[in-house]
Amino acid sequence: MHETLGQLFIPLDLSVAVQVIILGFIGGILSGFIGSGGAFFMTPGMMNLGVQGIVAVATNIAHKFGKAMMGSRKHGEMGNVDRKLGLFLVITSFAGIRLAVWITSLLFEGAGGGHGEGKGAGANLYISLVFICVLSLVAISMLRDALRARSEGEDAGPSRRITEVLAKLRLRPLIHFPVSDVKISLWILLVVGLATGYLAGTIGVGGFIGVPAMIYVFGVSTTVAAGTELFLAMFMGAFGALNYAYEGYVDIRLTLLLYLGSLVGVYLGVYGTKVVREVMIRLVTGVIIILCVLSRGIAIPMYLRQLGVLEMDPHWDFYFNGASKVLLFAAGVVGAGIILINVFRAYRQRAKVRASLATVAASASHEQIGAAKAVA
Amino acid sequence: MQLICISRGSFAAGRELAEKLSRKLDVPCVGREELVDQATESGIPVGKLEMAMIKPHLFTERLARQKDHFRAYMTKAICERLLKHERLVYHGRTGHMLFRGIDNIFRVRVVAEMDYRIRAVMQRLHLDRDKARQYIEEVEEDRKRWVKEFYGVNWEEAVHYDVIINTSQMNLDNASSALCSMAQLPEFQLSPASRRSLEDLLLAARVRVALAQDPRTSEINVKVQAHRGSVTVTYMPQQARLAGRIPEVVESLEGIGGLTCTPANTNILWIQERYDPGEESFLQLVQIASKWGAAIELLRFTPEDTTEEGTAAVTEGPGLQTPSPSRAPVHFSKYNGGIEDDSDEPDGSLPDGGVRTTLKELTRVGVAGGARRIHGGQEKILAALDRTTPYSLVVVDSLFLSKGHAARTRATRELRNMLEQRLKVPVVGKEDLKSHFLFGRTQMLKLLGCLAAVSSIYAVVFKFQWQILGFLSPTETSGKICAAIAIALFVPLVAYLYGTATGLALKLLKME
Repeated sequence: MHETLGQLFIPLDLSVAVQVIILGFIGGILSGFIGSGGAFFMTPGMMNLGVQGIVAVATNIAHKFGKAMMGSRKHGEMGNVDRKLGLFLVITSFAGIRLAVWITSLLFEGAGGGHGEGKGAGANLYISLVFICVLSLVAISMLRDALRARSEGEDAGPSRRITEVLAKLRLRPLIHFPVSDVKISLWILLVVGLATGYLAGTIGVGGFIGVPAMIYVFGVSTTVAAGTELFLAMFMGAFGALNYAYEGYVDIRLTLLLYLGSLVGVYLGVYGTKVVREVMIRLVTGVIIILCVLSRGIAIPMYLRQLGVLEMDPHWDFYFNGASKVLLFAAGVVGAGIILINVFRAYRQRAKVRASLATVAASASHEQIGAAKAVA
Repeated sequence: MQLICISRGSFAAGRELAEKLSRKLDVPCVGREELVDQATESGIPVGKLEMAMIKPHLFTERLARQKDHFRAYMTKAICERLLKHERLVYHGRTGHMLFRGIDNIFRVRVVAEMDYRIRAVMQRLHLDRDKARQYIEEVEEDRKRWVKEFYGVNWEEAVHYDVIINTSQMNLDNASSALCSMAQLPEFQLSPASRRSLEDLLLAARVRVALAQDPRTSEINVKVQAHRGSVTVTYMPQQARLAGRIPEVVESLEGIGGLTCTPANTNILWIQERYDPGEESFLQLVQIASKWGAAIELLRFTPEDTTEEGTAAVTEGPGLQTPSPSRAPVHFSKYNGGIEDDSDEPDGSLPDGGVRTTLKELTRVGVAGGARRIHGGQEKILAALDRTTPYSLVVVDSLFLSKGHAARTRATRELRNMLEQRLKVPVVGKEDLKSHFLFGRTQMLKLLGCLAAVSSIYAVVFKFQWQILGFLSPTETSGKICAAIAIALFVPLVAYLYGTATGLALKLLKME
């Protein structure tokens, strides 16, 4: 049994386990800071550790399911969840997830294992390509906005052109969502739900589409978008996890190890958003994502060789995988480091200001009360 | 003193009605457009702000500051005119929302049937019927969104107005005559307490505008409150460096008696009838505020049947207020014709419910967020709250003290439920502070329990990892279904246990 399972799941020693926990921790910090699931870091990170792409996605989506459940509960208490909107998106996103699981499973079974030794090379290549395309777009637009904001000295949001065009279309039927107080075309809802589900099922990063779509396309407020996305992620995560679990691709050991790091990291990341400027958040996020994209790009020749598309000495796989791994970890460590340094600085500065203000306020209020007594 | 605010429905002849009313009453009249022009000239990009607020897109930090600046500018402009002329007719969208918590403003909504408005648009803009209808619908939608964004309310709700005039059913002369008569009612005359509140609002607005217009402080996100010359400014902790310039900027303004600056990410609203800084809940709340980087805003609520004192809502600044009315307490159970017989003369003879000493302590520890006092029914609390202020927690306790235990418990619970539904934030009592937000023995037991459960789960999973992986990767359908169910149940359980343990551990380390 070990041999059969060994083809799908990696053996775990202490070093690998620690690396997975660190992946979870950094992913958690980035997740709390950026507001996405952190899968853009954890999925390729696990692939770099030798985990099959499909297992990495399945494991991460199972991890996301539990995390989203906790987050959604918290947001629900704060009134930030539009359940009606979430349920509309859930229905269509299920179709997207099912499509993604079907394509990925097909590629995993059918491609690879021919010229090279990697059975999942086809699925790995496909996941990497989708990852690169989608996240390049996200990172470039994020960096462009952040740089524009820096040069113009203002923190303007991204371009509104698409939003305005869609708003003018008014494709009927329009559905009213009282919590978000918006009217949305059913057709746009279907497209966004499908795209969110497909990306969540393929690379585990549905939030990169869901949250911006809710803010820019639907006109939902940022807090409600984040809360509703978590509500959606809970269902999508559950559905994705059930699908992948049914196919037997979830590595429960890795899910548990990811939790060890991620749930601590999330708290620190969320704290970071309270003390770091918005432009800085976008800049750091954009740089981290672009480095993750580069890291995945470096691994592509390896998958191409395994598929027999590229003629290359198999020993080079080690170097490509190593370079990809180093770049990814460097991106994560540097990004998380910048966030932690900012958090620490801001915390110290805040404590200092609070202490000085308390002293000033105390002496001022004593003087004022004295003056009031004198008047009376 | 009188303020009449006319909320104009689009193309319902609201402006004409306001002007007629102003002429009949011989009262100055000012429209939103005039003030918007002045605001634009002063450097506020009102057009851009309006587009940003009515179109679905990300609302940036800068726009949020400009919105706040514009709001303060409008408040300042209306207050200055009102305090100068004593009476004023203002016509716009929902100007009265700028004066939340101030009683006796005469709030009029002007509406008209769709056909009437279509005819008006066709005549004015030379459009055909369909285009005129579409135009009205779009304008209406934009204005509705603006009011929602700006004040957090639905402007179509009748409860926000004292009277609604349908100009397609009543001609403007008769409508203005009816309003003229209503304007004489004592319910629509501003009381001395309201005047004092207006002066506070004006001072706060002047400070906010000065901070926004000075290049040294224009980038800071601040909330300003004032009470009798004492100003409280709360700002985001990450802007502490810029906030150091606040005293330099506002020192030249007239009427400022004192300034308190508090760094705060968010606000905690504390509603009680009496406060005591010596009690345990005060220390607990300060601990929570320090951990969250929050400012504590006191709202002293004295219910209708409380006879200790009675005034309209008054905004109070930290450590400075001398709020007690000098005369005998006003009994609101008896009709007083709408004239609230209060005075702003200080007199230490009446208790202030511990607000002064509590605020003094809050200021000392650097978490003061100002204070207000509300007297009346529960709905007054909601009416006085600024829905755009981000509250993270509302603490409601020690209320309805004149009632028996059972009635007090029931009334407090109802008030909590009502606030939770309307404000959509956690509303708790003092007894919940420790169990929900601080670390005590219960939390320690919970932490240990969760850690024990998590450790056991991890030990079992890693000891029998290949057997478990084998169970989760079956080939037959029934095994696959079992695997899917096992994952669906097991993963959330671990997330819950470990998430709870992590949260509690960080709470223990004061790293929330």
